[in-house]
Amino acid sequence: MTASILKKASAEAKLLLIGIPLAIWTLLPIYHLVLFALSPKEQAVSGKLWPEHPTLHNFSMVFHEQHHYLGHFWLQMWNSVLIAVSVGAITLFIATSAAFAISRLRVRGGRTIMNLALFTYFIPAAFLAVPMYKTMGNYGLLNSQWALILAMVTIATPYSIWVLKQASDKLPLELDEAARIDGATPLQLFRLVYLPLMLPSLVAVGTYALLLAWNEYLYAFLLLSDDKSTTLGVALGSFLSADDSPWELLMTTGLIYALPPAAIYYAFKRYMVGGLTAGAVKS
Amino acid sequence: MASVSFRNVEKSFGSTRIIHGIGFDIADGEFTVLVGPSGCGKSTLLRMLAGLEEISGGTIAIDDHVVNDIESKDRDIAMVFQSYALYPHMTVADNMGFSLRLRKADPALTKERVAHAARILNLGPYLERFPRELSGGQRQRVAMGRAIVRDPKVFLFDEPLSNLDAKLRVAMRAEIKALHQRLKTTTVYVTHDQVEAMTMADRIVVMQEGRIEQIGTPLELYDHPANLFVAQFIGSPAMNVVNGTLRRDGGQAWMEADGGIRWPLAPARAGQDGQPVAYGVRPGDLGVGRGADASSVPAEVIVVEPTGAETELLVRVGAAQIVVVVHGRTQAEPGQTIHLSVDTGAVHLFDPTSGIALTA
Repeated sequence: MTASILKKASAEAKLLLIGIPLAIWTLLPIYHLVLFALSPKEQAVSGKLWPEHPTLHNFSMVFHEQHHYLGHFWLQMWNSVLIAVSVGAITLFIATSAAFAISRLRVRGGRTIMNLALFTYFIPAAFLAVPMYKTMGNYGLLNSQWALILAMVTIATPYSIWVLKQASDKLPLELDEAARIDGATPLQLFRLVYLPLMLPSLVAVGTYALLLAWNEYLYAFLLLSDDKSTTLGVALGSFLSADDSPWELLMTTGLIYALPPAAIYYAFKRYMVGGLTAGAVKS
Repeated sequence: MASVSFRNVEKSFGSTRIIHGIGFDIADGEFTVLVGPSGCGKSTLLRMLAGLEEISGGTIAIDDHVVNDIESKDRDIAMVFQSYALYPHMTVADNMGFSLRLRKADPALTKERVAHAARILNLGPYLERFPRELSGGQRQRVAMGRAIVRDPKVFLFDEPLSNLDAKLRVAMRAEIKALHQRLKTTTVYVTHDQVEAMTMADRIVVMQEGRIEQIGTPLELYDHPANLFVAQFIGSPAMNVVNGTLRRDGGQAWMEADGGIRWPLAPARAGQDGQPVAYGVRPGDLGVGRGADASSVPAEVIVVEPTGAETELLVRVGAAQIVVVVHGRTQAEPGQTIHLSVDTGAVHLFDPTSGIALTA
């Protein structure tokens, strides 16, 4: 009895031993982000653990674009949103169609596509940055948000196809057969049976692609050099181009920029777990 | 309601042929069971009828219309799968009404048909539930309801009871049979369980390795198996088979097995003296005699398995192990020697090489 309690306690202690440093490691930068964002300019680097007079003045400055670096804050925010949402949507559309065709309709060459998709990850994305820049230039897309959208979709799609294909394979084939006998066309099967059952995976993959685009720096920096077309992420980087960087504003903007991903994770938390197919077939 | 006919149907996967030219007819309203060991091609045959597998050769016709190139949905069939294959994101009512929804049927009609099917299957209280909230038996009934709602020409069942526990299986077996008696829809039912086949079928098609071994009513198959395979597949416990040589002498006939053991035969049986035969006798056609006599077979009791109404004995006769089922109880004990009496009228003889029955 006591032995088992001891064993349990020791197992928990081990977990805490890993968990606590990990939590500190993760939360420390966020703490600094918040600290800077709430500090007046002159106290930002005072070394205090918490500002004496916390203020929301920095947020007001950011929201009212009251700094040279923040001249296009709202526009750039909008660009980030537009690009991230577009990348999420287009990636989902392509990857879902591909996964459905390969996994459920069993189209010829499906395996080859899957292998090619995997192969793309042998080449690091940074390696492709210059060729991508050249390609977009050839098509006259530089400084157009389409350039970044297309580039990010290209990067996000192979992995998304893999994830969705694996998830599709887990759906029982009898469901398709039952639907076929019930009279469903492939499109009806896709819309009425496949998509609802894939929802958890779709949300997970959509979130992945969206956040990948949201967090992208290198490609955004290369493909969108104009202040008015670039994303907030790139704009944040430009804060550091001068010696007297306004750290408190940089941190405030960074904090704002980090909120949407956090919100998305929180909102779609339950989909990341899944479990919708329970009861479909006896396992 | 419809008849179904298979004409020289073949199926190959790549270069492997798994169905070798099968042909038979199913009459309108008939309950036909395809039975055989796993891998015999029975499910494939059903799936070909359903339109889920392509037909490599021959034709399948429903109501005299060849359906080879007709899509599943246009064959007017409904299928119940072993795994139920219910749509997990739809309620019971939506599951059952899905086919009508796809056909853009009037919602009022759909509702009425679903309610009707639910009444037949006692699913009324569960219509708004999801499949995951139902028990195995209820899910099976929903799968059947989905078939009933369509009012198809042919019902197809692919091992529908395999996922249920033994008790529920027996109950659902009776339910499916009652359903067929009520709806009188032509039904093709696949199972590997010969008890299911015997209890439910109007006619049984016994298959092995992509070929039909025998077609007949349950009792025809039981009483007159065409070959050794059918003889041993149909009936539980399985028929005892002993190899030996047919002997005739002075108006008497018997089969002599290894060790000089004599298995009695009716003198009128066909066959030449000295002909090798396989001697088949069902466990129920053997009895424990009172003592040694001219026609009894001495046996050593190995195991006694009382089941209450009957007692199953595993005995050794020479080198062969024989199962005997006696009604009621027995005094026999392991190690004891008993004398088996044989109902010679119920003995089956087969050609030991071809397995074909030697008819009287």
